Amino acid sequence: MKHDLELKVQAWLDGELPEREARRMGEWVARDAEASALAAELGCIRQAMFRNETAGALGEGREFYWSKIERQIQREAGPGRTDDLPWYARLRQYMAPLAGAAALACVLLMAVWQGAPTFDEISSTGEGMEAVTFHDQSAQMTVVWLQDSSAGAEDQSAKKTIRYEDEPGTVIDLE
Amino acid sequence: MEPDKSALAEADLVRKSQKGDMASFEELVARYRDKIYARAYSMMRNEEEALDLSQDAWVKGWQRLAQFQGDSSFITWMTRIVINLCLDQLRKHKRQRSESIEAMEEEGGVERQMPVVNPNPTAGLERVELRERIDRALAQLSLQHRTVLVLHEFEELEYKEIAKRMKCSIGTVMSRLFYARRRMATLLASLRRENSE
Repeated sequence: MKHDLELKVQAWLDGELPEREARRMGEWVARDAEASALAAELGCIRQAMFRNETAGALGEGREFYWSKIERQIQREAGPGRTDDLPWYARLRQYMAPLAGAAALACVLLMAVWQGAPTFDEISSTGEGMEAVTFHDQSAQMTVVWLQDSSAGAEDQSAKKTIRYEDEPGTVIDLE
Repeated sequence: MEPDKSALAEADLVRKSQKGDMASFEELVARYRDKIYARAYSMMRNEEEALDLSQDAWVKGWQRLAQFQGDSSFITWMTRIVINLCLDQLRKHKRQRSESIEAMEEEGGVERQMPVVNPNPTAGLERVELRERIDRALAQLSLQHRTVLVLHEFEELEYKEIAKRMKCSIGTVMSRLFYARRRMATLLASLRRENSE
């Protein structure tokens, strides 16, 4: 039998042929012994497999199986829903950033209201050297302390203080 | 205390899950996890892969819950998701295989051309025994043939739907299904011979 015909027998069996063609095919299969045997074999497999899938059994327990799904959902952020949270938890989610923003706004308002701060102090530490910068805006003065903190420098007079006015590059004092 | 969800109907659990209630979703997972795993295992024949894919399917299900309109049952909808994930995975496997093996399997081997010797290779088998033999025979099919058989016989999908999911022509689906059935007939008959000896 040609392969095309074999496939048609199968399609007839699976109900995939149009009604008229299916009727003709049925008549031919009934007359032809080879087609009839093929249809019987294919039909038998179809029938045997129908609702005879082996029931799968997971080796993992409910909690363990779910925990991996839950973790992945949380990792991938899921649909971003918060409906399942209680109202106070949802409120807290919004209140925390709002409170932070409000606090920052208060600090800025206070600064504007009281005028700009008159001094800044910046400290930085590097390997073997420590520097503290003090800047007083009202006095138009910047003082820099440099300290050699490397080993063996303790006994030496390694502290240096540089003071200069806010004119860039104008060093006033050097000890 | 967490209310008991096991008494709730599927529709209620789905509705609550769609509103973001993870406890309801967990109950759905508990109810259908075996079925989803079984479908993945039928297609992949690898326990570890089936486990991972079934869990991925649940994650996808959660993320797409808003799209579930209730046109089919929830388990049918979930099964479609796991099938699609398995098909993606099988495509990855296919890319790793040599073209010659693929072409040889597509031809259908010797079974396709063999005359029908035993039109009823499952006669006289008890249901449990039949299931077991089907399972063993399925394991011996190639990925492509097993997939088309699972989608047609277990999922009861039409040729057109299988072709769409497997991204191939209807002719290819028919050819693969034909070969898969004939091979199954041979395997089931030989398993019966082995047992009677």
